[in-house]
Amino acid sequence: MMIFSRSLLLAAFVTITILAGCSATQPTHPDQLEYPALNFQLPEVETLTLANGIRLYLKEDSELPLVQITAMVGSGAMTTPADKIGLAGLFGSTWRTGGAGDRTPEELDEYLDFLAADLSASLGPYTAKLNISLRSEDLQNGLAVLGDLLRRPMFAEKRLELARLQAQEHLRRQNDSPGSISRRLLMAALYPNHYLGYSPTPETLAAITRQDLVDFQQTYFAPNNLWIAVSGDFDRANLMTLLNDSFGDWSQREVPEQHLPTIARSESGAIQVAAKDLPQTTIVIGDLGLTKDHPDQYAVRILNYILGGGGFNSRMMREIRSNRGLAYSAYSYFQVGRRLPGPFIAGTETKNVSVVPAISLTREIMVDLRNNRVTDEEVQLAKESQINSFVFGFENTHSVVSRQMSLAFFDYPKDYLAGYRDRIAAVTAVDVQRAAREFIDLSRQQIVLVGDPEEFSQELSAFGLPVVDVDLD
Amino acid sequence: MKQLCVWLTLLLFCFAGTAFGNSVLEEKVVEHQFANGMKLLVVERHDTPIVSAYITIGVGSVHETSETRGVAHLLEHMLFKGTKTLGTTDYQKEQPILAEIEKVGSKLDALRLQTDADPAQVTALVKELKELQSEHKQYVVKDVFSNIYSENGGVGYNAFTSKDLTTYLISLPSNKLELWALIESDRMRDPVLREVYTERDVIREERRRSYDTNPRRRHYESLVNNAFSVHPYRNPIIGWHSDIANLSPQKTREFLQKYYAPVNTVIALVGDVKAAEAIALVGRYFGDLEPGVPAPNVAAAEPEQNGEKRVIDIFDAEPRLAIAYHKPTMPHKDDYVFDLIDQVLGSGRTSRFYRSLVEEQKLATSVSVYGAPGSRYPNLFVIDAIPRHPHTTEELEAAIYVELDKLKKELVDEVELTKVRNRLVTDQLRQLRSNSGLARLLTSYQSLSGNWRYLVNYTEEIGKISVEDIKEVANNYFKPSNRTVVVLKREDAL
Repeated sequence: MMIFSRSLLLAAFVTITILAGCSATQPTHPDQLEYPALNFQLPEVETLTLANGIRLYLKEDSELPLVQITAMVGSGAMTTPADKIGLAGLFGSTWRTGGAGDRTPEELDEYLDFLAADLSASLGPYTAKLNISLRSEDLQNGLAVLGDLLRRPMFAEKRLELARLQAQEHLRRQNDSPGSISRRLLMAALYPNHYLGYSPTPETLAAITRQDLVDFQQTYFAPNNLWIAVSGDFDRANLMTLLNDSFGDWSQREVPEQHLPTIARSESGAIQVAAKDLPQTTIVIGDLGLTKDHPDQYAVRILNYILGGGGFNSRMMREIRSNRGLAYSAYSYFQVGRRLPGPFIAGTETKNVSVVPAISLTREIMVDLRNNRVTDEEVQLAKESQINSFVFGFENTHSVVSRQMSLAFFDYPKDYLAGYRDRIAAVTAVDVQRAAREFIDLSRQQIVLVGDPEEFSQELSAFGLPVVDVDLD
Repeated sequence: MKQLCVWLTLLLFCFAGTAFGNSVLEEKVVEHQFANGMKLLVVERHDTPIVSAYITIGVGSVHETSETRGVAHLLEHMLFKGTKTLGTTDYQKEQPILAEIEKVGSKLDALRLQTDADPAQVTALVKELKELQSEHKQYVVKDVFSNIYSENGGVGYNAFTSKDLTTYLISLPSNKLELWALIESDRMRDPVLREVYTERDVIREERRRSYDTNPRRRHYESLVNNAFSVHPYRNPIIGWHSDIANLSPQKTREFLQKYYAPVNTVIALVGDVKAAEAIALVGRYFGDLEPGVPAPNVAAAEPEQNGEKRVIDIFDAEPRLAIAYHKPTMPHKDDYVFDLIDQVLGSGRTSRFYRSLVEEQKLATSVSVYGAPGSRYPNLFVIDAIPRHPHTTEELEAAIYVELDKLKKELVDEVELTKVRNRLVTDQLRQLRSNSGLARLLTSYQSLSGNWRYLVNYTEEIGKISVEDIKEVANNYFKPSNRTVVVLKREDAL
């Protein structure tokens, strides 16, 4: 090591000396720089299907003696009935902590901690997931635990009760921070009477039973509904043997299809005001966005960058923060829905007296995006940014394999990644304006304000939306 | 930025490594010291054509005085505003207006501090300042660094100020490394402090957002502010509102000139770079900067606490409990012992606090343990706990002391120690995975301890700690007279 680094230092010294002689040509402005081409190919991910239908996504990376596995069941909590909202959280927590196979909850916790394994379990709207990070020498132990958790979870009653108590305390604290209040109220307004808009209540939490968890597992967990992504330092042949040990004797069976509840877009907007004695108001503005199948999704990415997604390069950040000092953060995002439209949200936080100016600025920027074409420079910057940063999606090997798995599960086009940069490059200012006209409509936006309304409530009528006071207690 | 301090302390565990982890680091890090005192650390990793670049100045809010609280952080913001060549359409024409803005702004600040100020004069100056600012706008190329980096595919362009350090970071496609060198060397050489008065308003909004409306961070701010009486660790990095409102371009410039110098600077480049080329590149762009003067150590020393401090912080939120004990910092032996104590008490589902307080007694929904608020000077061992209704902070506090007393009376058993070591070794490896994480570790430890190899030697030091040491340290520090307890709750809560 020392010899190696000495020789490097020597080489460096020589280089510096040579270059010092031509310092007159040292560039002083980025425009004078020329860059070598970036040598990048999309990494290959091996995909295969086992005899019982398990879909596998594999990528070896032996730099560090670690291995990471994501196991995904292709059914989610979106069909949870309204009187059992909170099931997803209790399922994930009890699945993780409730014991599995021959191990009691305490034994499983102790075992995993002794291996220094990181294990998480969650139930999302579309899928149920386990994620585990292990030392590579523990691969066999880790896969055996995954096998137990998927096929023989215990869902111990006492761990369900602990999870329920924790969730109830979380509910008691849900009005502590203005950020969480505003998100909850906004989602409820955007997705009325829908899973995506519901929050748990003490009653719905109390209604969830262990049998609900068991039923979900027994209905949906099957090898033909299981997807597994593995990355890190493993030997492929050994991995296949171990997978066979844990899952080989698990037989296929029919898994019912989940019928997702439909969403009705609210046609009229409103302003909800939640009073809290704070020196700053949290402002969120929302509407329904789009799904991954929307033809203008790439134009929407450019639109969002220019509106509030591009950090300091976005219009919201520039006008609200940089030019006027009205806020620290000003942002927008479209959460692209996998199967149902995700939300389109813009927001900022400002002292109570500046609430109306900050909302007005945001709305002016939005209206301008509808009414006028953005400049070529703005489109160019947004496109270059997304095209040139594309490579950062591939730094982490596990995100490469698990993304490949998700793209396949959600039926993304085969060339989604390979063609991504070209599709961004094809977006024009005309496309951006078309997207703006589809997704920006002030009259149907839902606005939520959490702060002290004393200093702004009189002026809210200027926005032409009904104003509703929300009682947080 | 507060999180960073917490995070740094947590990382200490992550680097208690095996021989394997140490050798990975030893083999991978190439270091170079330039003639002007600047230090460069390079790690080659060629899987993906990207690179993370960290520049850490060994200067933070501890270097401020009561007249300049908040200036390290304001300066960090100001350094996003450009230089004499970037961020301006014509610096020659811009400069006189900037000088005029500063003159009027300073006059206005001084006037506002006078109790008998003439309101008409204040109004006139506000108007004058506004007009100058709007005249200045024509010469400003807005947020130019962000623009150039983003266009070139940069991600994670940011900076953070902590009590001890200030860091500027970006990750770029690796073919753009020279762009980083050009921009960052220009930013060290010729920064222009544009739009200071607007930025003060931005920072006051940042303070409202991050502390004044956020119960968790406000609670932490109260804890640190009350635990220290003398040492500048007590001051919030961002400053109080009255501090921020009175920071001037002059104070900001002075701080910059005094401390931002190659002798106080460590750079790490991690990713698809060749070490020799990286050293040459950095030498070419930064090599001609004047060395500057090393930032002096803070003279103020926290006197021994001679009695428990107990504070109630009124805020509209459910109750929260935090307890802090004064302790030494690295490389004091007791600091290593505290790292083990952190693990035993607070790491994971089988840690003592989780098992006892969350799972068995169900008094809390979470209990976390960490070191704060910095690492260069003696700091705090913090226990942060959220009670579960109907249990009170008093019940929770008493139960926490029961666990601390066990550490004072009984030796930790061997199985527990092995478990903790496994965790340390494995988390160390996990920390090595990301370019950015590794760059952050290297610059932080190089700057804080003077040698990034602190990370390598850490394993050996931890290996020397015995179960008897843990018991002794628990007895020496977990004393009522050495602690500060802050409860955050509503005024009407019992």
